Amino acid sequence: MKLDEALKSLFPAGCSVRTEGNVVLGEARVGTRGEAVAAVLGTTDNAFIGLEEILALGEGLLDVLRDHPGRPVVLLVDNAGQRMALREELLGLFEYIANLAALQDLARRRGHKILAVVYGNSVAGGFIACGMLADRICALADARTSVMNLASIARVTRLSQDFLEELSKTLPVFAPGLQPFFKMGGIHEIWDADHAQRLEAALAACSPQDERAALGRERAGRTLARDIMDRVASA
Amino acid sequence: MRATRRSYFEATARQRVSGIADPGSFKEICGPTERRTSPSLPFFGLPAAFDDGVVVGDALIGGRPVSLAAQEGRFMGGAFGEVHAAKVAGLLRRALRTRPEAFVFLLDSGGVRLQEANAGEIGVTEIMRAIFDLRHAGVPVIGVVGGSCGSFGGAGIVSGCCDTLIASQEGRMGVSGPEVIETTMGVEAFDSRDRALVWRTTGGKNRRLFGAVSALVEDHIPAFREALLKALDRPASFTLEALAARRAALKARFETYGSAGDALDIWRAMGFDRPEDVPAMDVRDLEARLEPAREETP
Repeated sequence: MKLDEALKSLFPAGCSVRTEGNVVLGEARVGTRGEAVAAVLGTTDNAFIGLEEILALGEGLLDVLRDHPGRPVVLLVDNAGQRMALREELLGLFEYIANLAALQDLARRRGHKILAVVYGNSVAGGFIACGMLADRICALADARTSVMNLASIARVTRLSQDFLEELSKTLPVFAPGLQPFFKMGGIHEIWDADHAQRLEAALAACSPQDERAALGRERAGRTLARDIMDRVASA
Repeated sequence: MRATRRSYFEATARQRVSGIADPGSFKEICGPTERRTSPSLPFFGLPAAFDDGVVVGDALIGGRPVSLAAQEGRFMGGAFGEVHAAKVAGLLRRALRTRPEAFVFLLDSGGVRLQEANAGEIGVTEIMRAIFDLRHAGVPVIGVVGGSCGSFGGAGIVSGCCDTLIASQEGRMGVSGPEVIETTMGVEAFDSRDRALVWRTTGGKNRRLFGAVSALVEDHIPAFREALLKALDRPASFTLEALAARRAALKARFETYGSAGDALDIWRAMGFDRPEDVPAMDVRDLEARLEPAREETP
């Protein structure tokens, strides 16, 4: 879904959002009546998440922490992954992504609810930088997600793409797409209608505990992760 | 000298653990006898490992209790699969309860295991959140990079989440590896066969010069242990002030060096008259040069 369309359906009570390059910044009224206000941060146009995007998102988040303590944050996710370039690697993109992730985690500790809404695409390091550190991760039904497409997986693993296509129908652990990711517990909810109501309810349901491993077990996607975590944690 | 060297780069995860921990002190949890293997690899016709490529447990370093995790780069490139990631996340949660003096993570990983891409990627973010929990609770998290797979993709991002990083020059780290960039963007974007370019871009020296790595060591297991002993005295830090200061430093780095095309240009701008000599520089000489210029590390 395009940004304008997504904003309309997510925030029918109104929003004030600007874009700087591919970065989205602003605030919105939540729910159909719009009584509460949320900060809005994210990216648009299938952005590559590189140094500029990370710095702009970090600045936006610091502004929220300073000016609006406790205000919920809605992360609007649409990216094609981390920018793959010599410059990003030379300057240490890993540090930039880690810093933005840490800021999101700190915002949570300071009482900000963090809700991610994938409205476009979400890929690998781009999704890690913006979305996967949220309290609750939701996606519109027509959104996309992948760690790597099957053609690239085929190249790297030297397995045939036909074989991978076939296997991806039954093995959610590696298959691209929302449904497999949902099954693994990586996405809490998929919204096919009533976006504004779902968003309001999802904000209310935000919890600072990371329960995704339990969710993956419940949905029979990641069957072992939670038990192994518990086994090691309690040994 | 060479003959008596114990290369960290060439060692297995278990050799690294036994060379870094006090003799006999390491107590593995969920070890190979429990045969917690990947449920997914058989679908790809791939063999499993009884430890799924990571060793986790409690140990002593210089008599001080630590949690210790070590990735095995020789199994699936040390990549995070479901079981592998859950063992590390479980050890982080354990440390939140047992409060060791530090959590030490010997990273050696190409990132997310593609055969378990979704589980691996979610696992990486569970590890990130658990690292932040631990740092916030005051237990320092120390990352160590010096293995043959380096620390890339999700592992590279995890490296950036640590309080302290120790690396050798051979310890490469980043998000997209040179081969991935070349395959995706073309050879003109990054020639991954230019080994000198790869090392000076992603290697431990460039990371040390930027302050991401706080101790650069020789490729020698006892040198890593010595650096770890010192790092145990660095407190954990997870405050708004520290994170905002870090962001300001990263922004300044971008503004100062964002148009540089090569590490050599950056090193020249940092004050090295002969930047081409940096890759061959002795670690001690480099560290001596750095003493007055540490302001980037908060």
